[in-house]
Amino acid sequence: MKQSDDWHLTDALHYDQGRGDPFAAAVRATRMPMVITDPAKFDNPIVFCNEAFQQLTGYDREEIIGRNCRFLQGPDTDEASISRVRVAIQSGHDVEADLLNYRKDGSTFWNALYLSPVRDESGIIRFFFASQMDVSERVLSQQAITDKKVMVEREVDRRTADLRAALEAKTLLLHEVDHRVKNNLTMIGSLLRLQVRTIDDPDVAAKLDSMLERVDALAVVHRQLYQSSDLARFDLGTFVHNLAIDVVGASGRTDIHLHLDTRQLYVDAAHASALGLILNEILTNAIKHAFDNGKSGHLSVVVDDQSSMGIISICDDGPGMPSTKRTRSIGTSLITRLARQARAEATWRDNAPGTCVTITFPRSETET
Amino acid sequence: MNNAMNVLIVEDEILLAMDIEAIVEDSGHRVLAEAASLRDVKDLPDDLDPHLAFVDIHLANGSNGLDVSSMIQERWPNALVIFVTANVAKIPADFSGAHGVIAKPFSHAGITHALRYLADGVYDPPPSHPRPPSLISSPHLEQRWARAQ
Repeated sequence: MKQSDDWHLTDALHYDQGRGDPFAAAVRATRMPMVITDPAKFDNPIVFCNEAFQQLTGYDREEIIGRNCRFLQGPDTDEASISRVRVAIQSGHDVEADLLNYRKDGSTFWNALYLSPVRDESGIIRFFFASQMDVSERVLSQQAITDKKVMVEREVDRRTADLRAALEAKTLLLHEVDHRVKNNLTMIGSLLRLQVRTIDDPDVAAKLDSMLERVDALAVVHRQLYQSSDLARFDLGTFVHNLAIDVVGASGRTDIHLHLDTRQLYVDAAHASALGLILNEILTNAIKHAFDNGKSGHLSVVVDDQSSMGIISICDDGPGMPSTKRTRSIGTSLITRLARQARAEATWRDNAPGTCVTITFPRSETET
Repeated sequence: MNNAMNVLIVEDEILLAMDIEAIVEDSGHRVLAEAASLRDVKDLPDDLDPHLAFVDIHLANGSNGLDVSSMIQERWPNALVIFVTANVAKIPADFSGAHGVIAKPFSHAGITHALRYLADGVYDPPPSHPRPPSLISSPHLEQRWARAQ
C-alpha cells in the first residue's frame, strides 16, 4: 500500500523539502520509533512510521503502512494491556503500556508504548501519535527480580513453617514434662500423707508432716509457675500471700489473725523453689512455735517492693523461739542454706513480743 | 462435726483417691463412694445424694470429668462439683456446669481449706470465710450462694 496523502507534510516531504518543517524532519530522524495512525479510516491504520520504527520491528515501510498496530502482537502479548490500549483509543485518551511485541523475524521485544490523540481545532481526533521504546532489558530484569522475590518468599515460608513446627514440638514436649512433674509431685505428696496416717509416734509424725508441708510448698511453686505465661520470673509476692492463707487456713486456727500487706514482687524463676521453701519454713514455724498450745495471736506478712532488693517480713507476736532451739532445728538450717543459694539473706529479730523474720533477695531483672 | 458433708471422689489414680479420701475424713466429712470412670459413676445408686464431688478430668477407660460432671448434675442436682485436675486449661469457659476447680498438684492445706469453705457454704450459705486461693470458683458457685441467700 502506498503511503497516505494525508501525510504529505511528513512522508511525502523529503529531507530537502523538510527544511521548511523542522518538526517533520525531527520525527523522521529521531532514534525514537514513532507511528501515526488515522482513525478516520477503516480499522485505524498506520499512515506514517519513521526509520527507527522500521529498524525496531524489522518490517519495511511498505509492509507497515495501512495496517493496524496490532500486527505487532503475538500469542504471548498480555490481553489485559491490549484491551487497556483499545479502550483508550475508543474513548480518545492517551495511554501508556508495556507490551510484548513481535518482530518480523518472530523474535520478541518489550515495547513501552505511549499513545496520544491529536485533535484539530474543533476537537475531533485527526490522528493518533504513538511512540515506542524497546525496554526489554528493564522488563526482563524486573521479571528476574520478581521471580527471585517469589523464590525467596517461598523459601522464607518454608523455613517459617519448619520453625513453627519445631516450636510446636517443643511446646508439646514442655507441656508433657510439666504434666509429668505435676503428676509426680501430686503422687509424692499423696504417698507421704498416706504414710503419716500410719505413724503412731507423734514426734515422727510431726517430722513427716513438716516434710509433707515442704513437698506441698514445692507443689504450689510449680503450680504457680506452670499457670503463669512467664517462664523466666516468679511472683513471690503473690506466692507468699496465698501460702500464708493456705497454711493458716489449713491449721484450722481461727484464733490466729492474719494481716497481709502484699503485692506482686518478681524473682528469677531459677530461685523460685528455694525462696518458696524458705517462706514455707518461716510460716509453718511461726504457726507451730509462736502460737503453740492454742495461744492466739497475730501473724503479719509484709511484701516491700520499694527498694532495689525485694524484702518480705513475717512477724508473729508469740513468745518467740529461744535461739538455742533455733540453731538446732532443720528448718533454720534450711532457711540459712537455701538463702545462700538464692543470694538472699534471712535475719531474725525480736518483735517484743514475738519474732520477725526478714528475707532480702534480688528481684528479677527481666522486664515483661 | 455437725456440718459434715457426704463426698463423692471420682479419680482414676488410686493413690490420689486414697489421699483425698484421707483428707476428707480427717476434715470430719464422709466419703460415700469412689469412682474411677464415667461407667463407675453410672453404676452408683440413685439415692447416694452427695453434697460434694471431687472430679478429675482425665479418668479411666478414656472417659472424662466433663461428662462425669454433667451426669452428676443430672442425677444429683444438689451436689457441688469441684474438678481436681492438672489440666486446668482443658476446662471449658462454662465449666460444664461445675462449680470450681482445684489445680494439681494440690496441697493438704489447699484441699482442707477448700473443704471448710464449701461445707460452710453448703450448711449456711454464703460461706462466711473468704474463698481460699487453692479453689478457683466458677460462676455457677457464685449463683448457688446467691440463690441460697
